[in-house]
Amino acid sequence: MTSRGTPSRFLQSVLQNGVGRYVCQLKRISLIFSKKGQSSLGAREFIEEGVVDFAKKNPGTVVYVSPQSCRIPKIVAEYLNGTVREEAITMKSSQDISALVKKLTEQSGLDIIRIRKPFHTDSPSIQGQWHPFTNRPPSIGPVKPRDGQA
Amino acid sequence: MSSFTKSAQQWATFARSWYLIDARMQPPGKIATMCSIRLQGKHKPIYHALSDCGDHVVVMNTRHIAFSGNKWEQKVYSSHTGYPGGFKQVTAAQLHHKDPKAIVKLAVYGMLPKNLSRRTMMQRLHLFPDDALPEDILQNLTEELPQPRAVPRKLSEYTQEERQAFPTLWTPPEDFRLK
Repeated sequence: MTSRGTPSRFLQSVLQNGVGRYVCQLKRISLIFSKKGQSSLGAREFIEEGVVDFAKKNPGTVVYVSPQSCRIPKIVAEYLNGTVREEAITMKSSQDISALVKKLTEQSGLDIIRIRKPFHTDSPSIQGQWHPFTNRPPSIGPVKPRDGQA
Repeated sequence: MSSFTKSAQQWATFARSWYLIDARMQPPGKIATMCSIRLQGKHKPIYHALSDCGDHVVVMNTRHIAFSGNKWEQKVYSSHTGYPGGFKQVTAAQLHHKDPKAIVKLAVYGMLPKNLSRRTMMQRLHLFPDDALPEDILQNLTEELPQPRAVPRKLSEYTQEERQAFPTLWTPPEDFRLK
């Protein structure tokens, strides 16, 4: 990595996740909230409405719900590669928290930094990728220097 | 498309080709341009300056290159040994006599971009003074590139009929003396 500029990485997935089967990379998620605080209102609503459904839908993820006397409720997400991400959910509604949890579940735990070569297409070529033999006249046998050279 | 896997497709895309160029009676600058484009990978639609996507180029018959004009005598290759008074200057003919690969090599080296990957790209250039290529290189070749110039025929390669059919500007008189 060069010392100048912002940190960057290439687009990748953890251990080619999703090529054969997909393993959810979110290992553990803990919801830290206050039982009384005004800022945890949305968090408490989410616990009433959505957290059990989320835990049932994601059997590979451990869900902790821990009431603590805190001013800033937060979600701590731990990934299989050791990344820990803390997200504050102060004054957030139940829907916002649900969307945030969904986003954390789908992430791989790799650093969220600038992606090098961010080339992407929504309509991949149906002819297939280019390779050195596309648009080249077919030849039989190995290539050799031409005969008849003195 | 589905007859092979995506990873095989990826390997095929980034595989290195081996090109063969016959330098017989060709100007070294034209040969070097073709080499430099292929060595950098600029002929590929997947070219990117940061991805090392250059191909291998095999140039044979470098002994039989053809300079135009009087470059053999007039073109000067200069170098300095680093010692005092170590400035060397040789003409193209002298350099070619010493090393038949040097002229093409220097021409390609000068046309490649001046960066850290220049030496790597030069390692993918394979020069041969004659048309004898080693077996392992022959097996790798994928395509022979057309020569940039048509090779002129020598007088000895014309048949007697062709020589007689050649149009004459004037008919020499009976008593004309050819030196």
